[in-house]
Amino acid sequence: MTATQAVLDRVTRVPGVRGAVVVAAADGLVVAEQLMDGVDGQAAAALTASLVGRLVRTAEGAGMRPPAFVQLRGDGGSVLAAPGPQDLVLVAVVGPDANLGLARLEMIEAVGRLA
Amino acid sequence: MRALEPWVVQPLETFLAESAARLTLLMTMSGQVVAQHGFSRSLDVMSAAALGAGIVASTEELARLMGASRFEALVHHGQRQSCMLAAFTTPRGRWIGLVVFGPETSVGIIRLFFDQMVQQLAAVAPREQTQPPMLAENFETELNASLKALFGR
Amino acid sequence: MTDDIRALTTRLADEPGSLAFLELAEALRRRGQLEAAYKVARGGLARYPGLADAHDLMARVLSDQGDLAGAFDAWTSALQLDPMRTSALKGVAFLYFRAGDKAAALDHLQRAHEVDPDDPAIPQTIARLSAQLRAGAPASAPVESAAAPSAPAIAPDSSERPSPGLFHDMDGGEQGLLLVDANGLRLGGRLGGADGNDVGDRVAAQLAGLSREAARATRLLGLGSWHSIAVESPDGHLVLTQPTADTVLLAARDPSLPMGRVGLLAERAARAARTWLETQG
Repeated sequence: MTATQAVLDRVTRVPGVRGAVVVAAADGLVVAEQLMDGVDGQAAAALTASLVGRLVRTAEGAGMRPPAFVQLRGDGGSVLAAPGPQDLVLVAVVGPDANLGLARLEMIEAVGRLA
Repeated sequence: MRALEPWVVQPLETFLAESAARLTLLMTMSGQVVAQHGFSRSLDVMSAAALGAGIVASTEELARLMGASRFEALVHHGQRQSCMLAAFTTPRGRWIGLVVFGPETSVGIIRLFFDQMVQQLAAVAPREQTQPPMLAENFETELNASLKALFGR
Repeated sequence: MTDDIRALTTRLADEPGSLAFLELAEALRRRGQLEAAYKVARGGLARYPGLADAHDLMARVLSDQGDLAGAFDAWTSALQLDPMRTSALKGVAFLYFRAGDKAAALDHLQRAHEVDPDDPAIPQTIARLSAQLRAGAPASAPVESAAAPSAPAIAPDSSERPSPGLFHDMDGGEQGLLLVDANGLRLGGRLGGADGNDVGDRVAAQLAGLSREAARATRLLGLGSWHSIAVESPDGHLVLTQPTADTVLLAARDPSLPMGRVGLLAERAARAARTWLETQG
């Protein structure tokens, strides 16, 4: 198992996580994915990368360093994103009943091991 | 945005609104233009269509030589602008999309909404009898008529 | 089609190389027919790439279309060809103002005033902008429509700004809270940067289109409508919410405050913003 797959495996074990992808932030393209049925990895990658890019610019405009974690919350769940090294972003799609605190901790810890 | 076929308009408009593409050209595999957005000169459209069709034909031949199935898309990254070429199947035959985009969007977004546009085109294309073969002497007349329609003249 | 547009269209059709495209595109732009105006301007610019009038016209059309980066390039080209072109100087000033760079906006307005001292709108705007820079006050002098020939809606004058009551009962007042409209213009609140200067306008500009982008992401991922965005930076916690369909609220706090509490603060501020917006009509 590669380091990237190990990261995805760890994140997707968190209760309520429907899928996780590693995204090349500049392009919004999938690098690796581990998804349940019904989760569109291509869309998660492209849309989250675009949103995170905008939030990075917002944080910079506010004089802050780039975000370490982002949560987009919707009616039916959330998208979580943890920017990592080499312009990669770890993205997880989670249901409304997911253990968000655990998912967040796992993602922040795991993203540093992406290479 | 201009299109020769009215059923192309809505899917293409949706793609343009979502993707923030700067220039878009839809054409047949022979380079006959179906719709365009962002081009201001007919000469540019003709050149881009001819070059795009040629590149896709070369790429598909390369794939065939490699024993691979067709490539889905070709992306050229530039410093200020990038370009994607993708061939896709419609009820009217295989077409090619040429999309030019800048740093305000990403290839991921372009591909995501391009794929959605392809699905929408497949869903809304009228099912008609097959077109009669294009004769060489009719080609230039057809091309000029297409260009006039595409530039609103 | 009005008579003047019809006449100009005929003239341009008869003489494609004439300068009638300038009048025609401007008439179309004033009528809000921006796509047609763009095509005419583009065609004229292709024929006359060295004509400052053509670049100026294109900039106005692009500005109306919301392509501010394109408008900036076009006005810059106009100034390269004609450094004393006041309309381009005013246009660039407006764009700098929109981007939050008041110093650059002031510089361009002063140059415009030197070229055209008889334009009364310029010194008025210079005075307001200078006063704000001296006071270090948060944004928004009204750069009047004369200052940018096709300026879109501008943030209100300091004397017409939302009353202090918008966030008056929030902990910390309006500091660290920003209410932004769909166009990226600040409606209220204040956001201090790392150096203490107000960065509200700069951040507001980044938030233009955020609501649409967030809604698109949750919709296409099957997550319904979006509620909030939480952003953790080493330097601060941000929470973004949507008080109304056309506004975004940003709450920013020190990273020592737990994100959950920042979220509660954002919800309270969003309620206050909704109440205030209802009073604005």
